[in-house]
Amino acid sequence: MDPRFTALLAPFLKHLHGREITEESPLPELGLDSMQSIELLFAIEDAFGVPLPDEDLNDATFATAGSLWTAVRAARAAHEGSVGAP
Amino acid sequence: MTVAPERTLPRTIQERAAEVAEVAAAHAERTDREASFPVETLAALRASGLLGLLVPVADGGLGGSTADLLRAALRIGRADVSAAMIFAMHCQQTAAVLAHAGPRLRAEVLPELAAGRLYLASVTTEAGSGGHLLSAESRLRTAEGDLVVDRFAPIVTGGAHADAFLISMRGPDDDAPGRLSLVYARRDQLEISGSGDWQPMGMRASHSVALRLAGTVPQDQVVGGHGGFSRIATGVFAPLAHLGWSACWLGAASGALSRVLRMLRDPAGRSRSALGSELLLTRLSTVRARLDTVHALLWRAERMVAEGVDLSTPPRQLLLNALKITAAEQCHAAVDELITAVGMRHGYLRDSPTRLERTLRDLRSAALNYSNDRLHLADGRLALLDPEVRLA
Repeated sequence: MDPRFTALLAPFLKHLHGREITEESPLPELGLDSMQSIELLFAIEDAFGVPLPDEDLNDATFATAGSLWTAVRAARAAHEGSVGAP
Repeated sequence: MTVAPERTLPRTIQERAAEVAEVAAAHAERTDREASFPVETLAALRASGLLGLLVPVADGGLGGSTADLLRAALRIGRADVSAAMIFAMHCQQTAAVLAHAGPRLRAEVLPELAAGRLYLASVTTEAGSGGHLLSAESRLRTAEGDLVVDRFAPIVTGGAHADAFLISMRGPDDDAPGRLSLVYARRDQLEISGSGDWQPMGMRASHSVALRLAGTVPQDQVVGGHGGFSRIATGVFAPLAHLGWSACWLGAASGALSRVLRMLRDPAGRSRSALGSELLLTRLSTVRARLDTVHALLWRAERMVAEGVDLSTPPRQLLLNALKITAAEQCHAAVDELITAVGMRHGYLRDSPTRLERTLRDLRSAALNYSNDRLHLADGRLALLDPEVRLA
């Protein structure tokens, strides 16, 4: 995972208590609730310049740091693909 | 001449619900006055087989669907919304056991449910959580391989009469308040103490008292595994709570409208001038439209849940929350408007056969029961997550 991504994620996880974020880190159990997901989403958009597609906005995407990172990476790839296209 | 013996057909779910509703109606005035649990209605629920409504036929139950549950709640809600809530909330608990209990626990619980011997209550709110399900401070401990439960709960509907409880607590190794486990505990496994004080405005027969539960249960009474509660809450409790509560409230408001219409049409009390009143006709129209709106939303949401789709997406969460918010507001507004329509004697007096006074007090709880204010905050955020506005 991109260190920028884990640094951005950490403040949303109030039960992380300084531990390292791994792909398996369970986001809801570490303190991410549905009320905060919108703020997290905006933070991702600002940092990586892409919005997550609407169909990725479900519990499965927000289950672990790894599942969320996979969605962010896919959104960036799709965005760069469309920007790079002639 | 011989007469063929009368064949006794198995009763339909709706016939069973009608029998329970009759008992509930007969005792509702007293249980409301005394703020006491409707023990006669629970006995009728046990005898009717409806406590095992959702249990598969193969396990001795009625094999009913969520739609059957909603129709039964609507029917019982017409007579007594407290009794309907007791039934609907029991069914939420059984749905969690059916979907998530391990084989040993299922084998113990399902026959008991089917036989009407098991009324299940839920202990999923905690002092300081504000009705929020997904946080709890109380923690399970392990002792000699078993789990030690010690939990205070500020409000347990039917807690003094339940045969067993589903209790949410932090697991023995869970250090995050967001990671909860759901534990099944029988009354004989627990020491139960409570204040017994219960003097609410309405829903008085729901007898929702504060309890302390303490005891020891085996590990296999954890439902859905340690940390499994949030999955059960999203997949079972939240959708069934919003559907079930809405059906109870719609039943209550439908019963109120029905009683008012029968009174207005009764030849003895009919006065041509009253039925010709444009104000009265407009009010009846508005009340009816409120109920049709909730009815349409209820069955749309039921279809969506029955399709088995992922309910965690913003459009689907918004629809389920909108059902609860709308049912709470519109059912209460409908009964309030009926009171205005029929006036002081039949709207405001306790002994009127319209029973609007009791129904209004009961339905006043709807917006507070898992607060509409909090749901609106969640819905505002969820709306921002769906800029395309994909209506579910």
